[in-house]
Amino acid sequence: MKWFKNLWQTLNTPAKYLTLGSISLTAFIMGVMFWGGFNTALEATNTEEFCIGCHSMESKPYQELQKTVHWSNHSGVRATCPDCHVPHSWGRKIARKMEASSDVWGWVFNTVNTSEKFEDKRLEMASREWARFERDDSLACKNCHNYDSMKWDTMSKLAQKQMKRAAEKDQSCVDCHKGIAHILPDMGTARAPQLIAEVGTGPSKFTNEQYYFSALTKPLFFSAKGDVEAGTLNVATKVKILESKENRVKVSISGWRKQIGAGRVIYYDFGINMLTAQLSKEAAKTEGVINGFEEKEDEMTGLKWQRVETTLWTDAEYLITEQQPLWDYARTTFRSSCSVCHTQPDEAHFDANTWPGMFQGMIAFVNMDQDTQALVQKYLQQHSSTFVKKEH
Amino acid sequence: MTTEQINKETGEKKKRKELKALGFIIVVLFPVLSVFAIGGYGLIIWLIQAFGGVIPH
Repeated sequence: MKWFKNLWQTLNTPAKYLTLGSISLTAFIMGVMFWGGFNTALEATNTEEFCIGCHSMESKPYQELQKTVHWSNHSGVRATCPDCHVPHSWGRKIARKMEASSDVWGWVFNTVNTSEKFEDKRLEMASREWARFERDDSLACKNCHNYDSMKWDTMSKLAQKQMKRAAEKDQSCVDCHKGIAHILPDMGTARAPQLIAEVGTGPSKFTNEQYYFSALTKPLFFSAKGDVEAGTLNVATKVKILESKENRVKVSISGWRKQIGAGRVIYYDFGINMLTAQLSKEAAKTEGVINGFEEKEDEMTGLKWQRVETTLWTDAEYLITEQQPLWDYARTTFRSSCSVCHTQPDEAHFDANTWPGMFQGMIAFVNMDQDTQALVQKYLQQHSSTFVKKEH
Repeated sequence: MTTEQINKETGEKKKRKELKALGFIIVVLFPVLSVFAIGGYGLIIWLIQAFGGVIPH
């Protein structure tokens, strides 16, 4: 402390022995050294040699790049790592450098030091890069590629059509062009990988009597052990956990069903065609699986509905604690997918029973996996005019 | 000791103090401050972006 006080005293009084000349000269030299040093460091960490200094960067992404057009082509221009992965504007560049501290963490703790570990994390890492490209409108690409400089005549008819549409909106390149410089993550076997990357796979332990939401369409089973499926639980559905046993949980699903046939489809609420679960015929007929309560008649259709509660087992995964992340993902998907061709309608423009027809009529035009489709449809229904009162 | 000698003595001490302070600023204080300032600036932008904000280019 005394040392600090002494120092402060010296710094706080005019110098008696150091001359003004020596002090200002020191300041000048320091200024030059700091400025220069900073830029040198920034440049040095922005080279390919620096990036592939790490084994995991050299062995995977760098090798993959060498097989693509961004490595060698007839014009002899090539992209280096920082060209695409570091923003070029100053502020964002510094932010990216700070963000890269997590890469240092990964290097210290060997998170991707083997091929297996890298592949396991590939989707997560790729999703992060895609998110950045989307946020920046693929600014990194557009430093070289320019919509205005594209020669439309040399493109195929289809490419012209797609590209011109993209140019009009100044669309982010990576919306369509994924996996062009590195191998695409394996998304064939995993279900709705981007959705799961966003919302997670859910907790590993469940609290009884608590509510959870399905992150995917999940199979339902009769018992904690058996393989006999009793039906499917729709995505983004609220369930109550009753019991946990090893890899399964017993869930209670409540909703309404129509009194026709075996009544094996369970809907969200009376008179609303929003899927909650679909049971097999066998399950619907099995005593004790579906418990019926009061009945009501829908005046519009003349159908009788019955409130039901179902108790079945499902795998203890993809059950998450909050519903909002699912809606957030669905909203983004809905907005970006539909706006490719037209202005998407407001969610509250249709009611919950009109949306499925509307949505199914359009779905053939976009590339959406089954789980995402089911989720977006449910999102639209849940945010339709049936639930959200909005003037229009 | 004469007053002159005392003055010279404290003067020597004072000069050493000033040089030490200057050295401290050059070697420790300003490098640390500049690293924190730039790092902090980057961190702030990163955080704003992470929480959904978009920074103008």
